[in-house]
Amino acid sequence: MKPKKNIQVFRTALLGITLLAGMLVSVGQARAEKITVAAAADLKFAMNEIVAAYKKSNPTDEVDVVYGSSGKFHTQIQQGAPYDLYFSADIAYPRELAKAGFSAFEVKPYALGRIVLWSATLDATKMTLANLTDPKISRIAIANPKHAPYGKRAQEAFIASGLWEKVEPKLVYGENIAHTAQFVQTGNAQAGIIALSLALNPELSGKGGYWLIPDKLHAPLEQGFIITKRAAGNPLAKRFAEYMGSQAARALMVKYGFVLPGEK
Amino acid sequence: MFLSASDIQSIFLTLRLAALVTAILYFLGIPMAWWLARSRSRWRGPINAVVALPLVLPPSVLGFYLLLTMGPHGPVGKLTEALGLGLLPFTFPGLVVASVFYSLPFMVQPVQNAFAAMGERPLEAAATLGASPLDAFFTVALPLARPGLLTAGIMTFAHTIGEFGVVLMIGGNLPGVSRVVSVQIYDHVEALEYAQAHRLAAVMLIFSFVVLMILQRWRPKNGQGGA
Amino acid sequence: MEEIAARFALTYPGFNLDVDLHLPGRGITALFGHSGSGKTTLLRLIAGLARTENGRLTFRGQVWQDEDTWLPTHRRPLGYVFQDANLLEHLSVAGNLQYGAKRSCGRQVNLDAAIELLGIGHLLERKPAQLSGGEGQRVAIARALSTAPSLLLMDEPLASLDLTRKQEILPYLERLHRELAIPVLYVSHAPDEVARLADHLVVMAEGRVVADGPLAETLARTDLPVRLGEEAGVVVEAVIVERDSSWQLLRLGFGAENILWCRDSGQLLGSRVRVRVLARDVAISLSRPQDSSVQNLLAGRIEAIANDEHPGLALIRVQVGKTPFLSRLTRRAVDTLALKVEREVWVQVKTVALLDQT
Repeated sequence: MKPKKNIQVFRTALLGITLLAGMLVSVGQARAEKITVAAAADLKFAMNEIVAAYKKSNPTDEVDVVYGSSGKFHTQIQQGAPYDLYFSADIAYPRELAKAGFSAFEVKPYALGRIVLWSATLDATKMTLANLTDPKISRIAIANPKHAPYGKRAQEAFIASGLWEKVEPKLVYGENIAHTAQFVQTGNAQAGIIALSLALNPELSGKGGYWLIPDKLHAPLEQGFIITKRAAGNPLAKRFAEYMGSQAARALMVKYGFVLPGEK
Repeated sequence: MFLSASDIQSIFLTLRLAALVTAILYFLGIPMAWWLARSRSRWRGPINAVVALPLVLPPSVLGFYLLLTMGPHGPVGKLTEALGLGLLPFTFPGLVVASVFYSLPFMVQPVQNAFAAMGERPLEAAATLGASPLDAFFTVALPLARPGLLTAGIMTFAHTIGEFGVVLMIGGNLPGVSRVVSVQIYDHVEALEYAQAHRLAAVMLIFSFVVLMILQRWRPKNGQGGA
Repeated sequence: MEEIAARFALTYPGFNLDVDLHLPGRGITALFGHSGSGKTTLLRLIAGLARTENGRLTFRGQVWQDEDTWLPTHRRPLGYVFQDANLLEHLSVAGNLQYGAKRSCGRQVNLDAAIELLGIGHLLERKPAQLSGGEGQRVAIARALSTAPSLLLMDEPLASLDLTRKQEILPYLERLHRELAIPVLYVSHAPDEVARLADHLVVMAEGRVVADGPLAETLARTDLPVRLGEEAGVVVEAVIVERDSSWQLLRLGFGAENILWCRDSGQLLGSRVRVRVLARDVAISLSRPQDSSVQNLLAGRIEAIANDEHPGLALIRVQVGKTPFLSRLTRRAVDTLALKVEREVWVQVKTVALLDQT
């Protein structure tokens, strides 16, 4: 009796799932113009606003953005991930992809990133990197320097200030810059080094404060993007790439603390 | 050398974590499974569901909540600080606590099923032979549940070894503390060190295969009512 | 004599149990009834495996349960034989026996005697999964004795076995009956087992006790609501007084001077035996038959005439000396012979089944 009933329930569920999946697929097919953008985590807030502004003038275009670590996207694109545009926090990644033939056009620099010292609990505006040696600060979050560009620059800044040996035991490593900010935001790390673009976001700027780390302490965070090979013939991908150079988009980038190419 | 020093460090860290978590879960999970298999309390359903949550919850959700609750503003964080233990995120004990939560169903469910399958009858027999409930638990229920206990232990151990999301969320990627094998592989891949990633990943693959083979072997054996 | 006093009231959906029993402190008491009559529930209540708030149970003056007392099963000095052996699968036969022996609370245990009594010496090293049904049940009985219990409870120990296995175990149960000094409560729905083993009979129906008394007396009652159907009959305790080797027959004496003949199956002269006489094998005639093939003729007096299950049949109780016999006749025969209570008649017993097989 019971097993039979279970089989019936199972069958009904299976049917339901199949129908649902079918509906989702058909909905997806109904929308013709669509691109997927892979963007470094530091772009999160700026890119959200840029996409919103873009869609206001191009309401029929569909732009999906995936945020994550630049290194991960680099690997994924090599393995054929379906991204049409790739915005990296480190121009070295897209350059490498272009060299290997994964890019439709040339690599285009779009911004210079800046790093800041940020805390959710302390007033970081009155701090410098040297304050991090204070024993009261037991945990400092940075992005993993092994593969995250912002983490690499943070490490360089510590080394340039001669603080690396002292702070290294306190460091915890976020998977990307957004994850690093999360460690600080939840208070699990008292301070961290994150992207200026994140620190300027209303969600984070309400707390604590930030101190801009002088750009002479680290190599420039030159950021670049490519249109991937698969999107070579996609007019929407090209349209969106061009929009990044528009006045509206540049203004938004500046608002989030990015220095734009050709400006100072 | 086949594996780098940091790879080997991550392997030993992972084994230490998995062994500790399995041991702790034997202590916590067996009484829980016993209660869940036999209780008629109205709390049974909800608690069963809570135990099973990590099976369906994304590790990131679990990791995020653990990060919040164990952080300085969370209840667990306030407690550990009040006890002078400091905060748990980015520490090995913190990782152990998180993994205990994450692997809980892998311990509780096989044991619970084993207890439920044996039913009341062997315990009734033990009672008529003069065994108190506690006596019967140790001399009848546990020995009869042995296949379930072994399965649960192996599953818990293997699952803890394979854990990634929660560790990443609360571990802080510290060598020797929270940089377990899965995280180490992820770092290798992110840093485009594919050769190193391959080697370590192969070790994991072989390990997982062996574990599953062992589990396969166990089942038919105890089905014949032998050992 | 009264050593067990049990009073229980219990309500499950669709089932009520309400009993107030006083049972003898020795011999085998059969709890007899159809399935669903509550006999197993009663046994579990006595063992403490089931519980009702509404109950009182004393054993040899010791309170096992009342309003304020509840002695858990493991503290009650009892042995319990389950319907299927219910051996502990992870232990060997010896391990099962020692499990109880180790927990006998200081009572003197003679495991060897139990092993010998049930003939399981050659099985000790085996695991329960390697035993046949009959062997398993014998081990279960020995295990129940391993705690040196003061009371043995048996829940249909033969019900899960086929006829051959039953025949294998019954002799052991009879030995148990002869050699065991403790009282036994034996749940059964099989009249032949009851006839063979019991000294005292409690008949249950729908959660109530409908008859309760010594076996021979209770079996001969014609007013039981629980009919034994084809199995209706009496049990007679007799002594073998003569062996007729030329005809391969035994002469059994019972009462003052009554005799029955039965087939010789090798019993010793002078031994006490139990024979079963089914109502359908007993005929009645008004005068002493001269030319009947039936050899067992007894003079008696009709004590009662009752309705049988079928409206065309009647159940007649005839007293032969102090021993009652039951006879099943058609209503028409009763009418033709004008049988009445107090009437002197001749009883013809066609078949006598010797129950003990030593």
